[in-house]
Amino acid sequence: MVAAARTESKPRGFMPAAFRNATADALCMVAVLLLVALAAFFFGGVAMQRVVTYAAIMLTAVLGLQIFSGNSGIVSFGQAAFVGLGAYATGILTMPAALQRTALRDLPQFLAGHELSFFAALALVLALAVFIGLLTGTPLMRLTGSSASIATLAMLIIVYTLLVAGREITRGSQPFYGVPREVGLWTAAAVASVALIAARLFRETSFGLASRAAANDERGAAAVGVDQRIARLVAWVVGVIAAMAAGAMMAQFLGAFSPRDFYFDLGFTMLAMLIVGGMTSSLGAFAGVIVTIVVIEVVRRFEGGGEMLGLHLPVLFGLTQGVLAIAMILVIWRRPTGLFGERELNLLRRSGRTPEMASAPPRQVGADRLVADHLSRRYAGVVAVDDVSLSFETDSITGIIGPNGAGKTTLLNMLAGDVQPSAGTVSVGGVQRQASAFRFARSGIARTFQNIRVFPSMTVLENVVVAARQVEPDLAHAEAAAMRELFRMGLDKFADQPAARLAYGQRRRLEVARALALKPRFLLLDEPAAGMNAVETAELVSILSAVRAERRIGVVLIEHDMRLVMNLCERIVVIDHGRVIADGTPADVQNNPAVIAAYLGSRTARAKAASPENQPA
Amino acid sequence: MPSLYRLHRAALYAAAFSIAAVSMASAEEIIIGAATAQTGVLAPYDQPALAGLRMALDELNAKGGLAGKYTVKLMIKDTRSDTAQTATVAQELIDAGAKIMITPCDADPSISAGQLTQPLGIPTLTLCGSAPVLTGAVGDVMFGTYPADNVQATAVADFAVSEGKKKVFLLTSPDTTYTANLPEYFGKVFEKKGGAIVGRGTFTMGQPDFSAEITNIKGLADKPDLIMTAAYEPDFPAFIQQLRGAGVTIPVYGADAIGTPTIKALGKLVDGVVYTAAGYAEPGSKLEAFNAAFTKYAGHAPESTYEVNGYEIGLILDQAVKTAGSDDPKAIRDAIANLKDFEGITGKITYAGTNRMPLRPVALMRYEGGEGKHVETLIPDASDVPAP
Repeated sequence: MVAAARTESKPRGFMPAAFRNATADALCMVAVLLLVALAAFFFGGVAMQRVVTYAAIMLTAVLGLQIFSGNSGIVSFGQAAFVGLGAYATGILTMPAALQRTALRDLPQFLAGHELSFFAALALVLALAVFIGLLTGTPLMRLTGSSASIATLAMLIIVYTLLVAGREITRGSQPFYGVPREVGLWTAAAVASVALIAARLFRETSFGLASRAAANDERGAAAVGVDQRIARLVAWVVGVIAAMAAGAMMAQFLGAFSPRDFYFDLGFTMLAMLIVGGMTSSLGAFAGVIVTIVVIEVVRRFEGGGEMLGLHLPVLFGLTQGVLAIAMILVIWRRPTGLFGERELNLLRRSGRTPEMASAPPRQVGADRLVADHLSRRYAGVVAVDDVSLSFETDSITGIIGPNGAGKTTLLNMLAGDVQPSAGTVSVGGVQRQASAFRFARSGIARTFQNIRVFPSMTVLENVVVAARQVEPDLAHAEAAAMRELFRMGLDKFADQPAARLAYGQRRRLEVARALALKPRFLLLDEPAAGMNAVETAELVSILSAVRAERRIGVVLIEHDMRLVMNLCERIVVIDHGRVIADGTPADVQNNPAVIAAYLGSRTARAKAASPENQPA
Repeated sequence: MPSLYRLHRAALYAAAFSIAAVSMASAEEIIIGAATAQTGVLAPYDQPALAGLRMALDELNAKGGLAGKYTVKLMIKDTRSDTAQTATVAQELIDAGAKIMITPCDADPSISAGQLTQPLGIPTLTLCGSAPVLTGAVGDVMFGTYPADNVQATAVADFAVSEGKKKVFLLTSPDTTYTANLPEYFGKVFEKKGGAIVGRGTFTMGQPDFSAEITNIKGLADKPDLIMTAAYEPDFPAFIQQLRGAGVTIPVYGADAIGTPTIKALGKLVDGVVYTAAGYAEPGSKLEAFNAAFTKYAGHAPESTYEVNGYEIGLILDQAVKTAGSDDPKAIRDAIANLKDFEGITGKITYAGTNRMPLRPVALMRYEGGEGKHVETLIPDASDVPAP
């Protein structure tokens, strides 16, 4: 441990801390798996070895499901179909040619007579999996939530129908037999180990982080530059690869199968195992498979009746399913997120050590300009923003104020690329940009939300790393940059806590830290001090001025707290009924009759205007 | 596996009786492993057959066991109707010393279990799997027991030819082995014996509308005098209702899957429909006596011919051990493979000369006035049965 700590104290180890932690977790799970396999090898009979082999195959399949569903939050019912495709592909590729001529008389020529070894077939099947994954994943990218789940269900049915209909290749609904049985305990354990490592590490890759962020909060993820469609596609493809690898082993394990072996039953078995263990972590998938198989194996031995500790046990077939059902109900009732919930082992994180901060001070940004040109936005006849033209410079702090419903947030959303203008354009650095929240975020426009959008089930550090990963070359740099921002916001000691545990004010600060990790040229803040007490607000003001001074970024903020606005901003834009009614220094705006009319009513405004010390601006 | 899809009520006999592990003081013990579905979708088929087998083994044990010498210990393990689980429990039964293996009523799990018993030479019998491909897929230890699809089809074809039918229309569905292949087996035998196939139609299982197929049949230039199909519920009732409604009176023949109360209840609509059964309990027949004995043994009448089929497995094993003169699995396997004209309950059973799917009597039945009338029972000639 001391040695490990020393390695870590260097700015960059041989691997980012998140990967190091994930690798340790994965190796720990692999060690457990291999110990079980060794125990079965030395102490178990052939039957026990078959049980462990089957468990390893199921583990591979369930991990595939976890990689997609656990990271993207979309429950997939279709994973069994890909296990089936892997099984049939392997069956055809490895079948002895002589047997193939009788069992598959009408097999197309290019598929016939390969007689590959298992690993050669596996390599081909995995290549096929990438292709199938991309093919099936593309339509899935356009869907969200439950409609994506239904699409996976449709895939299950489509693949099943194709397997039944492709009689020349699959023997249709008849048993497909004659597959050599080369997959034993060690092959299955080896492939499952690779799947375990892949599933555990995937969480920490930029795709894993991005899909988890998008599953937590889609808009929030887009605001930190996450293109969730790509992230989800990658998760899907990796999941399909694992499923088809499991299918390849299943084919050689069973020797004979038909399409219905890869239909709803298998799909739900896999889902049940994953839900028992905990969907969002690879540890959950691992534990789910182990717990389910152990329960089945233990209970199964009692249902045949016999003598046990002097008691005569009755024959009770069906006991296995009964106990399994009760166990599942108990798990879902007592621990709705599964036995292990959202937690990974986090072996290296437990000791409270965190990645070293990057020592280099934050870079100053070059001069730039964010321009809104005749922006309008209408919602079904209501004009939220009406022909607004504004220009914001870097190295400035601008406050946007106005009564409730004036259109401030809509304007900010358009500036952040989150809302498509009905008319007009937004340009950054002189380049006009189409509305796209994640592209705006990547091009230097960071933002926060009025109702906080942090990723509650990810750690505080991960929240910021997701953003940093968009602008940093690799995870190690992203971690360092994220820690720097957390430190700046005084959140570094919470780095390894789930963001859900933070207090309200801390979450606001986390959102700002996350936005700053994007290395923005412009920072758009939507009511950053809302809900904060006076001390917290003062702290925020000092942090924002310091950030602006250090990095020379342009800050645009919407705020109702007048003291904050007047203290912090050097320019104030007042909006009412979707139009800019005033734009100038705090002193100018405070005395502008139109502003006073908007806030206090027109009579007060006239009275103010009449008083001698207030000349029109 | 024709009747796999017929819905019988699941009767969990296994729960009612304890394992037939009678520790007789006498002689030697032989373990028969039964990797069968106690639960799940296959249980309604495995359970009746297993109950018949159990009854036979109980009776045999009372007389000293197989060949009067080897007391049978029947070890039952649940496959949960799952292929992988079937292989696992089969391995456990092998480890426990099983010298004979009994497998479920379905091809996939039977093949999976057979792949484990094949290298060890342990004779393996499926309870009521009827896909002819089953035995070839495993090897020489695998035996079918129920009349195979091609045997049934041959019996129906023999009967049709003897009636003077000349031209047949085959209605198939690719959805199951049974519905896809059985009419084609019929066609092969029918053509070989001088008949002609004048048309073919297909349907999707569960489709409500058969008008396309019926129009096709009505439009045939060469009018068939017979329609052969392996459709069952709910397709068969829908088809025949629409066929007769369209004014087509051509006779329709099927196989064992339409020997159900639902089809019988269609009354006049199915008058003249010929189907098959594994046996027919004529008054005074052995089958009638078995049905009575089984009712006494189990407390309820047999639900189907699976019970007698299971019972006959017990008799076949007894005979095989007698012939083998030992409990050596290989000798028992050879004895089963050479069984010829063995007198079972339903008639003579022959394995010699087959690919281990038995030749055995097929009862031909015809619906008349809402009743299934026995037409004749015949054993097809081995040389007539088409290859799977």
